Amino acid sequence: MEKWRPTTSHVRALISGLLLAVVAVLARRPDLLVLATPLICVSVWAATLRPTQSPVVHQSIGHRTVREGEATTWHTSIEDPEGLVDDAVVVLEPPTYMDTQPIDGQVAVSLRDDGHAPLDVVVRSTRWGCRRVGPAHVVASSAWAGFRWECEDFADSLTLVTLPMSSRFDASAPPVRSPGLVGVNRSPRPGSGTEFATIRPFQAGDRLRRIHWPQSIRTGTIHVTSTWAEHDRHVVLLVDALEEVGDSDGIGGRASSLDVSMRAAGAIAEHFIGCGDRVGLVVLGARGAQRLPAAAGYRHLRRLLETMAAVQPAHATLDDGRMPRGLGDGALVLMLSPLVSPGALQRAMTIADHGLQVIAIDCLPIDIAQQEPDEPFVGIAWRIELLKRDRDIRQAREAGIAVVAWSGPGSLDVVLRDLHRHAGVRAGRRQ
Amino acid sequence: MNEQSLEEAWWLLSRTRGAGLLLRVLVVVSPVTALMCTRFAADHSPRVVNISVIVLAVLCAAFPDGHMGLLVVLLVATQWFATVDSPTTPWSIAVAVLLTVFHSSLAAATVAPPAARWTRAMCRRWLLRPLAVMLASAATWAVIAATHRYEIASSDVLIAAALVGLAVAGMWARNGTLAARQFRQD
Repeated sequence: MEKWRPTTSHVRALISGLLLAVVAVLARRPDLLVLATPLICVSVWAATLRPTQSPVVHQSIGHRTVREGEATTWHTSIEDPEGLVDDAVVVLEPPTYMDTQPIDGQVAVSLRDDGHAPLDVVVRSTRWGCRRVGPAHVVASSAWAGFRWECEDFADSLTLVTLPMSSRFDASAPPVRSPGLVGVNRSPRPGSGTEFATIRPFQAGDRLRRIHWPQSIRTGTIHVTSTWAEHDRHVVLLVDALEEVGDSDGIGGRASSLDVSMRAAGAIAEHFIGCGDRVGLVVLGARGAQRLPAAAGYRHLRRLLETMAAVQPAHATLDDGRMPRGLGDGALVLMLSPLVSPGALQRAMTIADHGLQVIAIDCLPIDIAQQEPDEPFVGIAWRIELLKRDRDIRQAREAGIAVVAWSGPGSLDVVLRDLHRHAGVRAGRRQ
Repeated sequence: MNEQSLEEAWWLLSRTRGAGLLLRVLVVVSPVTALMCTRFAADHSPRVVNISVIVLAVLCAAFPDGHMGLLVVLLVATQWFATVDSPTTPWSIAVAVLLTVFHSSLAAATVAPPAARWTRAMCRRWLLRPLAVMLASAATWAVIAATHRYEIASSDVLIAAALVGLAVAGMWARNGTLAARQFRQD
């Protein structure tokens, strides 16, 4: 239970004031009374204005979900039933990858004169993820800092979800022809839809409203208008969180491989969902494989980003290179990985062997060999590792796996264009 | 001594700025200046006490929530008591003012963390209240200077009454400080 406790200041004023006064009287030294007067005044003043009732503290956060680099506000309000609280202090210790304003998250106000508003602390998240924020430590002081009350029974800490800030991304390449797609993409498979395909003779099961009367009259047999089937493209983002390479300083600083992967995945998801496609997510991380089934729409994009924010990297996990389940048939798999372990490229080849189109996106930070300038051997080790990695990537390319380095807008243009061309050839063969 | 480690105190001191920094400077400067005033009033001062007060004042700046402030006040008052003979010297006002500055600065330094920014209202209140207390000290000195010639300090009855009054005041202060706390615990 919270209590108003006398402070060392009050004890000092009380003891020294009384002691000096007693000595002044006993020793008949009135000049000591002059020295004792301020201390006695202060102690009497503080004891007279001692609060007895505990203030009521309410704490809340402005937003539960923000993007990287965005800020929200930690609100604290203190209700003082007696009006005897002079100063109130809020200290919010920020977790890692959080900045506060004011710096150090410390706010002090005169409760009676300044009110509650200045007790707000601005919290800015600098890296994606789910983090516990608060509760803030609240301390109230009475007159002359004579008595202090510390809030011990406050609300639980709150979880702030920080969504990855999507990198800038667009793709000017034509869409890949997959067995089914909707939106801006035309399916190569005839079926029910709105996109005109051809005029063909009537077959059993054709709808009467599809009859093309001019052609039927000219030829003397019933013809119908056929359309392309409407399906959407099925894109699966396969994020490799089995290892995190490099240090992360949050947004605006150094980025780890997982930072690059998450921001790239967010950007790609935003792009394809903006095009009306279905996007699914498979994350290989500390919690095993997290899956989010493919769906379209901006609400689904939010779900994708929230799932990404909850990802925890699995350090020192053996990567067996197996194909994760649930990728779906005919999906375009975009595998985001630092491609440091051979298992990642092995997984890409396994996925391709199952007949899926796969693009491996290299998310290794480009300055990985220079991240620790004070450790020259680390730089040398990284250069050797990168040479081995280049060899593995070359072998994967020779095996038909498209590997592209993530570089923001237009990163996937060339490879998407190639896939489109090859898919067109395949579709033509089917027809 | 409070529970803060020296390393933590140094880290806090390194982040001190604004009003917190000013308060800590005052915590060190005011008792030192009080010692100088005592020296002016008495023409001499023991070096050991001076050094002790300076060291304790620096420690007070690092640990404002500790009990070393009490030692500083008592040391300054003891030196005054031991070295100054004139009961009506105006230097007593200066020392009282400096003790007020010391106590107020130390109390204010415990109100907020060192890096916290003080609002204008807080600064105003922590300036005006010590000024009022300083005026009370000056008024006490004026009363003492005015009544000194009547030698009321030699009256046994008055001394006994003053002691009784102090005892009552001590009981009231004790109750005001501790009794309510016990009541709340019940």
